[in-house]
Amino acid sequence: MLNLLLIFLIKLFAVILIFLWITIGVSIVYRRRRTKNLLLIEHTFAEVISKHLYPYPGEELSLIDIQRRFRNVGIIPSKPRNVQYLIDLMIRTQRSLLGENYEKLVILFNQIPPYGASVSKLKSKKWYVKARGIREIYEMDQNRYVKEVIKERNNKNIYVRREAQIAMVIFLGWESLRFLSYLKREMTLWQQIKIVEKLHDLYPQPNLEYLRRAYESEKSYANELLMRIIRKFNLLTEVDYILKFIDHINYDTRESAIYCISSFYLSNTQLSVLKEKYFEVPNIAQQIQLLKYIDKISFEKDLVFYKKLLYNADDIIKLSTAEILWNNGYKEEVQEFYYQQYADNQSRNLKEA
Amino acid sequence: MKKALVIQEDIIILNILERLVTLNHYDCRAIRTLNDLNIEDQQVNFDIIISDILFDGISPLDFVFQIQEIILHKSLIIVTNMGQLNVRLEVLASKNVDGFFAVPLNMNLIEKLIV
Repeated sequence: MLNLLLIFLIKLFAVILIFLWITIGVSIVYRRRRTKNLLLIEHTFAEVISKHLYPYPGEELSLIDIQRRFRNVGIIPSKPRNVQYLIDLMIRTQRSLLGENYEKLVILFNQIPPYGASVSKLKSKKWYVKARGIREIYEMDQNRYVKEVIKERNNKNIYVRREAQIAMVIFLGWESLRFLSYLKREMTLWQQIKIVEKLHDLYPQPNLEYLRRAYESEKSYANELLMRIIRKFNLLTEVDYILKFIDHINYDTRESAIYCISSFYLSNTQLSVLKEKYFEVPNIAQQIQLLKYIDKISFEKDLVFYKKLLYNADDIIKLSTAEILWNNGYKEEVQEFYYQQYADNQSRNLKEA
Repeated sequence: MKKALVIQEDIIILNILERLVTLNHYDCRAIRTLNDLNIEDQQVNFDIIISDILFDGISPLDFVFQIQEIILHKSLIIVTNMGQLNVRLEVLASKNVDGFFAVPLNMNLIEKLIV
């Protein structure tokens, strides 16, 4: 009985082993072929692209030739993975070239087959496919799909709308600020930074008209984004806009306003506005930040302002104020304040006694 | 005929450069890594070398020195993915490098250099 069982187990084990070996064998063959195939695609692509950009005399490739060569290496609709590989190659190439060649590639990529693949991704239900499709469209600068991409700006998935918003900035530049008031969902800090950077890379010439029109937007992320743009492009004429948000009720908006204003020097009127608003800022840490900033940019120390702080504000701010005054040579004022405090205490003690 | 050597790992850039160089009346030898270099190549005095600096097992700066030692040439142009400022400065400081182009690049600039 035991013998039979053992023999059975051994046979079972052998069967499993053989099955495993076969799977491994098939997998190895498949991988080899696949790599070979991808290499072939890459070589063909390299050859076609270089021929297209720098043809030898009498050797120009026609569009039909190009399409036929791609079809021969397996770029057909029924093999989506090959098509995807080709798209990745296209993006890689386009990213590494500038100037005339870049323009030539944009035109070529508009005409060769896999292109539909990126747009059809927009119809997918999976967010990562959708986001990838949008990314491919903007990376390859295929601006005839702008409409389809812009539709996704309010998508409920953060990554999809992130890509769509970046695509908008890339295709429309400063004009994309027009859409700011129509966004329905929050925009994260990271997204704001990305947009500002893209705008700065691709459209370094500020367009104040669109910027000013966007000022009317009341959403806090829109305000923060606009302030960051003003800072990045160093728009001295627009500092008043940042100043408006120094005493905003929203903590994050104030935080960005303080961050953005720190890179500017203010005129006297602006400085006095800032000092007025200073007392409305509800957070002590932010008040201290502002105090340091005011100290940094003002050449003459405004004694009235500092004394007001010294006698009325929170203890920590009093300390910072005293430090600023002391370091700028107003020792008497600090001493006076110090003794006055002492005198106050003494008189109180006397009263209690 | 003038002779050129192109070394680029990325086959697309390699092919494009090869054609660019050939169209400017050079006899062009295009290889993907230094290992593909044969003995005959090492006896040729190349007019121009267009090379990457990012290869397995060797630091960019060492590569530049090595190439200057083992292959005879008149001028050396670097075309690479590695465009960080410190790499650029280091490579350009090592003299005898006539141009440094980081991706993304405009081929017309290279063309001007080699004409």
